[in-house]
Amino acid sequence: MGANQRLRQRTVWLLIIILVLGFGAVITRLAYLQLIAGEDLQQKAVSQQLSDTTISAKRGTIYDRNGKILAQSASVWQVVLSPASFKTDEQRIYVANRLSEILGLEAEDVLEKTKQNSYYTVVKRKIESEEQKQILELMNEVEDKFKLSSVIALLDDYKRYYPYSELASSVIGFTGSDDQGLSGVEYQYDEYLTGTPGRLVTATNANGTIMPFDYSQNIDAIDGNSLVLTIDETIQSIIEKYMRNAIKDYKVYNRGVCIAMDPNNGEILGMATVGGYDLNDPFTISKEEQKKISEIDKDYLLEKGYITEEETYTAEEMSEILATAKSEAESAALSKMWRNKAISDTYYPGSVFKMVPLSMALEEGTVNKDTRFNCMGVFNLYGEDINCHNTGGHGTQTYAQALCNSCNPAFIEIGQSVGEEKWWEYYQAFGFSEKTGIDLPGESDDIFFSEDGTMGPVDLAVASFGQNFSITPIQMITAACAIANGGELVQPHVVKQILDSEGAVIENISTEPKRQVISNQVAEEMRGILEQNAIGGTGKNGYVAGYRVAGKTGTSEKLSDSNGDGVQDYIASYCGFAPANKPEIAMLVFFDTPLSGNYYGSAVAAPVFAGIMGEVLPYLELDAQYTEAEAANIDTTAGTYTGLSVTEASKSVNSDGFDVTIKGEGSTVVAQVPAAGSKIPTGGTVVLYTDETSVEEKVTVPNLIDYSVGDVNYIASYYGINISITGAVNSADAVAISQDIAEGTTVSPGTVVTVTFSSGGVND
Amino acid sequence: MSQYSTGTNSTRRYSTTGASSRNHTSQNPPQRVVKRKKQFSLLSIGKGLDVPFCMLIVLLLAIGITMMFSASYPVAFYEIGDSYYYLKRQLLFAIVGLAIMLAVSYFDYHHFHRFSALILGVSYFALIVVLLIPSETGVRRWIGIGDYGIQASEISKFAIILFLAHWGSRYYNKMHTFKYGVLPGAAVFVSTAILLLLEPHYSCIVIVALLTVIMLFVSGIRIKWIAIAAVLLAAAILLLWATGLLTYAMDRMDGWGKALEYIDEDQWQQTWQTRNSLYAIGSGGLFGLGLGQSRQKYLYLPEPQNDFVFAIVCEELGLIGAIAILLIFALLVWRGIVISLRAKDRFGKLLGIGLVSQIGLQVILNILVITDWLPNTGISLPFFSYGGSSLLMLLFQMGIVLSISRSANIEKI
Repeated sequence: MGANQRLRQRTVWLLIIILVLGFGAVITRLAYLQLIAGEDLQQKAVSQQLSDTTISAKRGTIYDRNGKILAQSASVWQVVLSPASFKTDEQRIYVANRLSEILGLEAEDVLEKTKQNSYYTVVKRKIESEEQKQILELMNEVEDKFKLSSVIALLDDYKRYYPYSELASSVIGFTGSDDQGLSGVEYQYDEYLTGTPGRLVTATNANGTIMPFDYSQNIDAIDGNSLVLTIDETIQSIIEKYMRNAIKDYKVYNRGVCIAMDPNNGEILGMATVGGYDLNDPFTISKEEQKKISEIDKDYLLEKGYITEEETYTAEEMSEILATAKSEAESAALSKMWRNKAISDTYYPGSVFKMVPLSMALEEGTVNKDTRFNCMGVFNLYGEDINCHNTGGHGTQTYAQALCNSCNPAFIEIGQSVGEEKWWEYYQAFGFSEKTGIDLPGESDDIFFSEDGTMGPVDLAVASFGQNFSITPIQMITAACAIANGGELVQPHVVKQILDSEGAVIENISTEPKRQVISNQVAEEMRGILEQNAIGGTGKNGYVAGYRVAGKTGTSEKLSDSNGDGVQDYIASYCGFAPANKPEIAMLVFFDTPLSGNYYGSAVAAPVFAGIMGEVLPYLELDAQYTEAEAANIDTTAGTYTGLSVTEASKSVNSDGFDVTIKGEGSTVVAQVPAAGSKIPTGGTVVLYTDETSVEEKVTVPNLIDYSVGDVNYIASYYGINISITGAVNSADAVAISQDIAEGTTVSPGTVVTVTFSSGGVND
Repeated sequence: MSQYSTGTNSTRRYSTTGASSRNHTSQNPPQRVVKRKKQFSLLSIGKGLDVPFCMLIVLLLAIGITMMFSASYPVAFYEIGDSYYYLKRQLLFAIVGLAIMLAVSYFDYHHFHRFSALILGVSYFALIVVLLIPSETGVRRWIGIGDYGIQASEISKFAIILFLAHWGSRYYNKMHTFKYGVLPGAAVFVSTAILLLLEPHYSCIVIVALLTVIMLFVSGIRIKWIAIAAVLLAAAILLLWATGLLTYAMDRMDGWGKALEYIDEDQWQQTWQTRNSLYAIGSGGLFGLGLGQSRQKYLYLPEPQNDFVFAIVCEELGLIGAIAILLIFALLVWRGIVISLRAKDRFGKLLGIGLVSQIGLQVILNILVITDWLPNTGISLPFFSYGGSSLLMLLFQMGIVLSISRSANIEKI
């Protein structure tokens, strides 16, 4: 029995080991996982089950101030795969091929995805309805063919559309692949636009379809809020049209900026960095930049320090270095393209800034009506000669004349009269030492001589005409607005209202004026001086016929030679507002490095300012008041004369204030040039055609550039065309600087050619 | 046949076991047997078939199939389009299996004495055949017959238990020697293990090793041999490690114990099943989400009907449910051991102990795998995991245990 006893004993031991040790260990482990680690594990499980089912909220719309849509999200789809659901390689290959066909992807890449050991992998995002239909067909096909129902799935997705493509690109900004704002308003107001993603009440399985059991706590996705911008699409379009043309005409190397702002409340009406980029395709750089990058060679690598002369490189190393250089150049080009120059770049404000020291001096009373400034063309400051742009000298001037002459020596004296301490106080008061706080990302700080405002006498002298310290364009126009609105420093902003997804206003955004910088009286006097400047001073190229415009030119030197031609670079700018007595719009026009030869603000920026204002002011429904001389150049709208008898038509043309020319032998008017509704200067000629053959008569547009207003009118009547005049026509020395229909173009008689005039002889 | 083994054992008993202490204890057995009979009769309902054991099997099978159905219906619905796909098949196999079990219980298990060598041969044959069948995945475990297949290792586990029970009962009094006690067992194990290594099927090697040790231990070999075997085993693993033969297992062990941490994409994908098993178990808490309420079975936990079915059990029934099921398993093992010890002959005792131990081992190893204490290597849970051939094999083996109980009870009268 001993042997059986041993068997029994050992069996009991075995039982103890299995039940106590084995089962004990198992139960201990389970108890730990379910009771102690349970909460944590459950949370992870739930977040896995729920996060997959999160429904993205629809991103809010961005409107201009009149409700035009600038950015909008539309429903699209994303295609996802459940690779682990495939049974055979044959199925994988088939689905990968079909998917790559429909979606235009590499079949190999898709095949790679079908081989992953997971239940969820995104194949392509943001597909549109055409592709979506094909995918639905493919899903049916796969189900019929392979009995696989859950391999491919379509999930909701949104895509951002920008109907105006390039318009206001630096302000609106764009979104990334996950619908997150990456720049501009899209970035700044991302949390409003994004909305609250829905936590789907029902949990879903790993494929994203809803689980068939009750697990409900439905929290709907709350669509993002919409934004109403202060930007006016019409004004913005006008600005960009003029800026684009100017950049081409003046061969501007480093883009241009225009900011239009309501001086009374800080609302930005238009803000353009031109050339911009297509918001619908923000990751493609311009062809020129692409060409530059493709031309990167050894010299470039040496210059930029990627390689050195001393070292030798294998071909492999070289191609690697080249690839690095190219990708770095590309990302640099992208960030330059996206950069909102209006708020992110700093520049020497130049003579435009002179309105600020004069305001200081008037407020402090350090200059008065009796103060005289004598300009000999050069100012000797502690043994150093500082030249005036008019090297012949401006002679004896009042402060108002000094500003209209943009006289540097006079402003050195004005600056000195204020003194360093007060100068710094006002500099701060005008908001140059701080960010304006505009609701856009990437605003830069100024760069002053020192952190605490201390500056030497030479610093003070040159600062008084806007050199050797840097500010942003937005700071400059905000300071100009303080002069325009009666002395208050406002905070610029681009968003006017926040709307909920239903369109109801949930927040009106307005910014409080930060402080009174100068008194209303001083501001009023400054407006008067600046208006005089626009009428007859250095700023006269910014004049707009019929409107009381005030403005100041500026030409500032740049420290860097940005295009590398070894010639000093300049920034041409013009800052002004209208109407001068009660300003409703202030505007800064700014060109970085014009290379066409003439780089003065008066020649480059002022006509653009005038052109934009000439269209914007009537759009703002401000009443025009013309001088007698201007009245002669006022355009009138041509009526409809076709269908009338020749006598009736002639009478009608004459009563509208035009001369009439009749071509052809018929008795009824069959055609007219200019067309009904076109603008023709009063006293212009309307050509009436009475038969079809005469319509084919053409004239050739002559060259009008460099002629005076009188000459241009004479030439036009000789050639049988009409002239619409814009620009500085009040100046006796004004000459035509551009014509909108080029010389040599064949047109019908009576066609209107718009000619822009500019006053020469102003080098500022 | 039964006369043969019991007879030889009883005549040799006194001559081989010389220790006086054993002689002392062996003076009393008649009374103790009588006492035990009374104890057993309390639990033994009726004569012949052991009803408690039989009821435990039916109970586990009912719970197992229910839970397997609950775990599998989303997968069956999404992947096959028929929620009842796995249930229908498993039910069919269960019915056939129960019939086989009852049939086998009427079969005198002593006949297996004769077949033990033959079945061991069949096991080797199956293991070699498996290696000759080409496979897409590089893992060769199944012998297919039409749509159905059986894992060769299922035969091997049974064959080894059977052979060692046969050998241990026949040479019970020589088992303390190396030649009879260790050598044959080691030979059978090593040869089987080599073939399993080629499949490869590491988890089965572990089970076969443990079963061999259990059988030899109960058959009375010296403890020191087991200790030596453990040392040798450790050395062998080190050697395999060094030679790189463990690649497949290593791959599977990559990230073992780290299922919840993200190390890299490979590891994250590899531990997907284990991680989601842990999520499921943890979600269950004390009382569970309720029968049918698992969320992890909705394609998060791959193949929830197979090795990881118990994770869904834990999620739906909680710790309470899991412990209750483990208790039923424990009762089954205990009852099985009791039945085995009541067998009149050593062959019956050893065979029963081996078959019941196998269930206990698989339960323990399976749960340690799904809780990430052991690498994910494919050990199914008896009565729960989906699989026709393994269920048939399991119920066939339970039939043998019932056959043992029947003969034990019959002879007691």
